[in-house]
Amino acid sequence: MSGAVDLSPRIPAARRIGAGFGGDPLLAGLVGLVLASALGLVLLQPAPYLVNMIGQLAAFAILAVSLDLVWGYLGILSLGHGLFFAIGGYVCAMHLLAHAYAVTGRAPDLMQFMGWKSLPAYWAGLTNAPYALALALGLAVAVAFAFGLASFRSRVNGVYFSIISQALVYVAMLLMFRNDTGLGGNNGMTGFDVLFGWPMSTPGIATGLAVATLVALAGVLAGARALVASPLGRRMLACRDDEARLRTLGYGTTRLKLGIWCLSAAIAALAGILYVPQVGIINPRVLSPDLSIEIAVWVAIGGMGRLSGAVIGAVAVNALKFWLSAALPEAWPFILSGLVLAVVLGLPNGLLDLATLRLRPTWLRRGGARP
Amino acid sequence: MVEGPGRFGLAGLLVWIASLVMQPALAAAAPLDRGAFAAALCGDGAAQTRSVESFLGIASEAESSDVAWAGTALRALLDRRLACLGETALLLDRAGAAEGVDAATGAARPAAGGRSPVLGLRQRALVETASGAAVLLTAPGVEARRTGLATLERRIAAVPEALLLRAAAAETDPGLRLSLAAVAQSAALSSADPARRLAAIRAVSEAPSGAARSRLSALKADPAYGTDPAFRATLDAALARVERAVSIGDGLAVLYNGLSFASILFMAAAGLAIIFGLMGVINLAQGEFIMIGAYATYGVQEALRRLAPAWLDSYLLVAIPVAFLASAGVGIAIEALILRHLYRRPLMSLLATWAVSLFLINGVRVAVGSQNLQFTMPSYVSGGVPLYADFVVTWNRLFAIAFAAVTLVLTLVILKRTPLGLDIRAVTQNRDMAACLGIRTRRVDRLAFGFGSGLAGLAGVALCPIYSVNPGMGANFIVDSFMVVVLGGVGTVVGTLVAALGIGGANVLIEPLYGAVAAKVIVLAGIILFLQRRPEGLFAMRRRR
Repeated sequence: MSGAVDLSPRIPAARRIGAGFGGDPLLAGLVGLVLASALGLVLLQPAPYLVNMIGQLAAFAILAVSLDLVWGYLGILSLGHGLFFAIGGYVCAMHLLAHAYAVTGRAPDLMQFMGWKSLPAYWAGLTNAPYALALALGLAVAVAFAFGLASFRSRVNGVYFSIISQALVYVAMLLMFRNDTGLGGNNGMTGFDVLFGWPMSTPGIATGLAVATLVALAGVLAGARALVASPLGRRMLACRDDEARLRTLGYGTTRLKLGIWCLSAAIAALAGILYVPQVGIINPRVLSPDLSIEIAVWVAIGGMGRLSGAVIGAVAVNALKFWLSAALPEAWPFILSGLVLAVVLGLPNGLLDLATLRLRPTWLRRGGARP
Repeated sequence: MVEGPGRFGLAGLLVWIASLVMQPALAAAAPLDRGAFAAALCGDGAAQTRSVESFLGIASEAESSDVAWAGTALRALLDRRLACLGETALLLDRAGAAEGVDAATGAARPAAGGRSPVLGLRQRALVETASGAAVLLTAPGVEARRTGLATLERRIAAVPEALLLRAAAAETDPGLRLSLAAVAQSAALSSADPARRLAAIRAVSEAPSGAARSRLSALKADPAYGTDPAFRATLDAALARVERAVSIGDGLAVLYNGLSFASILFMAAAGLAIIFGLMGVINLAQGEFIMIGAYATYGVQEALRRLAPAWLDSYLLVAIPVAFLASAGVGIAIEALILRHLYRRPLMSLLATWAVSLFLINGVRVAVGSQNLQFTMPSYVSGGVPLYADFVVTWNRLFAIAFAAVTLVLTLVILKRTPLGLDIRAVTQNRDMAACLGIRTRRVDRLAFGFGSGLAGLAGVALCPIYSVNPGMGANFIVDSFMVVVLGGVGTVVGTLVAALGIGGANVLIEPLYGAVAAKVIVLAGIILFLQRRPEGLFAMRRRR
């Protein structure tokens, strides 16, 4: 990339170093809010629809945090994060189906559809939940490691990386649309009747899932905060702002980027694992490039480079989407594109700019000549 | 598949010449003994078989009126409208009618006491064939003759060649004459006369195609293949020849399809590469500029249909400047309104162009509808010319290839020979230095963005005759065109061309072997591996860092 193009996003300098939430009261408040709503779900028992929606929003927030870790803190924009989300989701769906099959004895739709007498060999052991969890995370990390190693080692950066990651998720979508993968093809997988031996219709299971997701979100936020506030987090910001200089100073950036990239993939897979039982279906459309771009849009709208921004963006955009795609389905794409343009042009740090009242459009901020 | 006139041309010609030679023989035709024939139809199975076979034997030389008469009698027999009274046969209007006409004399007679013979399975097939032959030779309508031929084809072994030759000579419809030649050829292949057979095998191998191959390989099951060495040698040689020709033809077809796919890719990616090289902007809306070009083409077609129907056929050519200007106009507007604020933040400009593409897709969906647009295909992009074996040069793909070639030349001329091209290259190489030298880089950016968008609009015109046009069509090209840009290297037209040819070719080559999805997976893996060696693409442009 030429020097004229400044790849790093315009983000305030790193916040104070130190574990805990001392440097980020907004995030501390958010984590408190997340835990409080988890408690609220248990105590108040709101309508099932609301519980389910809160659970899904929390899963999306985890996904957004995973992308913000690599984009906001490392400057790597992945347009293929839906892949890791889908890996988590698919393995979780496989576990649920295999488990339901073992408990109820009713063959899953995809076996009947493909005319199989038993599930293919790679489904073996998936009735075991810890193994399924390990498989989902391990698979996501393995894919991320292979792709990240190939890319970071050859210093594929910036928009190149974005494009290739987009192609990756696109190819994965084409692959999963095939029926002979044994993963449901274009119908995807559905009919998750049993969770840990409990029928899905058990009252309280939706609340349990939502609470688990909220707790996971709080945990991910706390962990991510600890990471970015540590010396390692400071090195991530340095890598984002000037990778060449950091390398010149003797830090190996490839290993740093690869490690955070794999961590981000695992978090995204976790979001997928928590998301699928709540919506009750997974199909290849979660792998569409548009969905992966949307994740970046959530982060950009909320405010990239801030963990709280990712959460706020994911929750705000998706709550709006839940509401508008029911109320005004025709208008939603226009509103979304308008929102993106408004944020990108007017609020370079997303909605957090509104919170801190720093409404200064880019074209006013920039001086005359380019550097 | 395009049914080519060349496929059966030679064999058809032979049949026609042979039938010319046979004309005098037809004049001295032996008359059909109508009474005896009718009586035999009323006889037992053996008599029926004998008489119908003999009719088939003389049908090629009999008077047309006799053949037509026999056809009527055979049809009546099949429909159980033939009543037998002793030695005479009556034709009834419908099965079980009380009165009929004498089959031999045409005199009206009561049908009381007559019996309608029931045909055995073998006789029925034979009578059907003979009836078909009569229809083929004498029916006035083309459709009826075609049906007759279809009936004959089912039991072609029972049909004498002379009959087909006569039918071919009398045939007026060129399409049916071709089919006749084909049927005559396959009849000759199963002929009892070994010399005729060998000649037919050689004739088939003269015009190789997939159909010829399957016809010849079917002969391998023939007993003569085991017993007759001459037959075996001729067949093997012919088969080898056909197979070689067919595989060459298939290879050519694959190359041709790859070339046309690469042409579309090139046109979609050339604009991307210029924009990316100049401004570092990833334009996710490039696919929608293609869509705008295609919709502009549709608009031109509809406008011509209303205003100047005589010129309708030329809409693809008229649409070229219109589509270019439409896409370029939208591109310049987007650049001026949105992107110019984002040049220093490429990842944000990427999201902005995604929002634009979302807006354009849904805008068109609301304004025009999400259905596929209907295009009338002018004669110059429909059909094709069979070139070799099964390889057909289809005009619509040739149109896309020629279009891309012209676009390539124009792009190179604009970039290398015009002041704007000089400015674009200067700014791409070193923006600051170019600005210092007095080049108005902002204006260059805007014009280049318009130019790149316009190129995408041209791609939209070129793919109208090949792909379906709907609001979401851009998504099919965007990922592939980005791969082309990444592989080719930023800002080089030649790199884009080579990468488009490579990716298009690889896709089309792998697709028949492992399927379309595997092709995409392999190509992507290949690109990632390639970037390990050359992270800047095939032809990295030298720039100030």
